Amino acid sequence: MMIFGLFSCTSDDVYESIPADSLFSLKIPSNFPQIAQNIDTNFPTQNGVALGRKLFYDGRLSRDNSVSCAFCHEQQSAFTHHGHDLSHGIDNLTGKRNAPSVQNIIFQSEYFYDGASNSIQMLSIVPIHNPLEMDESLPTIVEKLKQDAQYVQLFRAAFSNGEVSSSNVLNALAQFMTIMISADSKYDKYIRNEAGGNFDQQELKGLDLFKNNCASCHATDLFTDNSFRNNGLPPNSKLNDLGREEVTGFRTDRYKFKVPSLRNIELTAPYMHDGRFGSLQSVLNFYSNGVQHTENLDPLLQNNSHTGIPLTQEEKEALIAFLKTLTDYDFVKNPLFYHKT
Amino acid sequence: MKKNIQTFAWLFSAGSLFVACNNDDNSTIIEENTFGAAELYFDNGVNGDKLVLGSSYSNSNSETLTINRFNYIISNIVLIKSDGTEYIYPKAKSYFIISEEADLHTVQLENIPAGDYVKVRFGLGVDQQKYLEGETAQQEFWDYAVQHNLTWTWSTGYRFINFEGTFKPAHAAKHEDHEEPETGTPGLFNFQIHQGSNTSTDNYREITLNLPTTARIRQTDKPSIHIVADANKITDGRNKILLQDNLNAAGTNASIMGGENLIKIAENTLQMFFVDHVHNGSGSHH
Repeated sequence: MMIFGLFSCTSDDVYESIPADSLFSLKIPSNFPQIAQNIDTNFPTQNGVALGRKLFYDGRLSRDNSVSCAFCHEQQSAFTHHGHDLSHGIDNLTGKRNAPSVQNIIFQSEYFYDGASNSIQMLSIVPIHNPLEMDESLPTIVEKLKQDAQYVQLFRAAFSNGEVSSSNVLNALAQFMTIMISADSKYDKYIRNEAGGNFDQQELKGLDLFKNNCASCHATDLFTDNSFRNNGLPPNSKLNDLGREEVTGFRTDRYKFKVPSLRNIELTAPYMHDGRFGSLQSVLNFYSNGVQHTENLDPLLQNNSHTGIPLTQEEKEALIAFLKTLTDYDFVKNPLFYHKT
Repeated sequence: MKKNIQTFAWLFSAGSLFVACNNDDNSTIIEENTFGAAELYFDNGVNGDKLVLGSSYSNSNSETLTINRFNYIISNIVLIKSDGTEYIYPKAKSYFIISEEADLHTVQLENIPAGDYVKVRFGLGVDQQKYLEGETAQQEFWDYAVQHNLTWTWSTGYRFINFEGTFKPAHAAKHEDHEEPETGTPGLFNFQIHQGSNTSTDNYREITLNLPTTARIRQTDKPSIHIVADANKITDGRNKILLQDNLNAAGTNASIMGGENLIKIAENTLQMFFVDHVHNGSGSHH
């Protein structure tokens, strides 16, 4: 088998049979906001998605071939790095932020906690080049992939110009991320009046509390308004993370981080940009008692006499019950996102 | 040879302008549906002097800059006739790099409708549309920009200008209490100015320049438009930016890569270019 594999790499047939491609059938959930990215110029195809998926799981995207995208974005944890407050990267280095979930990307207008990118096409550049994450460059990745006959064929099958190129590496990853839509949680079924969408009393109470206390930032059925805000987390002096200021250079952006989507939040612990909270209970304890009046604290968290969001323990439990209805078990088990599909 | 011609052009630009004006022996007839080529030649200078990497220049901010790198992106070129009609060079082919260290100075344009052009417009950097489209439309411009240190990876996009070197601040004594600078020489600091857009501010600008002489594009006539880029304008233009004010907390180096300074630099660069002269006729010349 090994020998056969070796032969097939050098035989001519890899240059002849190009599998037919077809557009991917993309289902847009009826309760979601508008698509926030231009996907028409790089609409997912069957072959493009298959290539993107292979790249997503391939360590060759890192300098020493050890760290793939999936290393920090694991499907069973809704494409986060389960159990890691800060993500680990190449040479066992530790990054300075918690890996954000890769889901519903096309509905978002800004990416990363600091908005380092606003383009689904370009965003992969950030982790690929980050010296603490993958520490690689696109031209070098292209050189590596060109040595692999299977990749050469997959690129030919996926793109009209057929090239293994920096552009097409990003295009394939973007196509794969385009189809990573999570919209089949119990909450979605409740909102869309579908079977399996019955909320109990506690979940209903939690939804009500959520609408009144959380939904101005965690807006729409994406549960983010794509804005950057300081939620009053005491800065960790060891990390000295300035948040969005690091991208914009504006002092008024200091300590502001992107409002994250809450979808699949039950699976994405630990929480916050630096992963400091291990449980949803701790997150809600912070919002009720821990919000600090740091520079640029969001006005929505300053309510006259009180900073933060006053909540009783019973209310916190109801909110957590509601947040758990955002778990989409189909998404985390969908074979389309598996390595070897 | 090329260097000699450049030097000649630099020193005797007024003279060559005079020559260009008299070099008017070609036919003024423009044949319909014919096409020709043109060249934009970017000559880098510093406030009237030639830019030589490694040389020092004092500015009106009382700072002395030694320039080690001056690379930038020129894009979206438009040629304009006296009646105001514009020829927009095909966008997909309209991204170029000028680099002092790599000796990249020319932008070669082809298949331009024959005509008499009186203005040129170009972008400094990468426009928001391309920026968002990323590499799809850029083709391999990204790889080319990587080679010339004109990409950002911590934030996704292009550096429009990469201007680096060392500087001596106006009041060196003020920094004696700081740590030793990265340069290892007390009172001498590294600086990096990386101009670009980010997801908060769009710092791409377009610049329109009048040509002192009409550029005649014909099937057989390829004009060379000689543009001077004054690197001094980046910090010492309409807006004055002191590198000293941008030293990091440890006082070891000055980096400008974001914030209000990028907006000020974008405004300064509107005055950074002028057309020194235009060569008409066939053949190579600067």
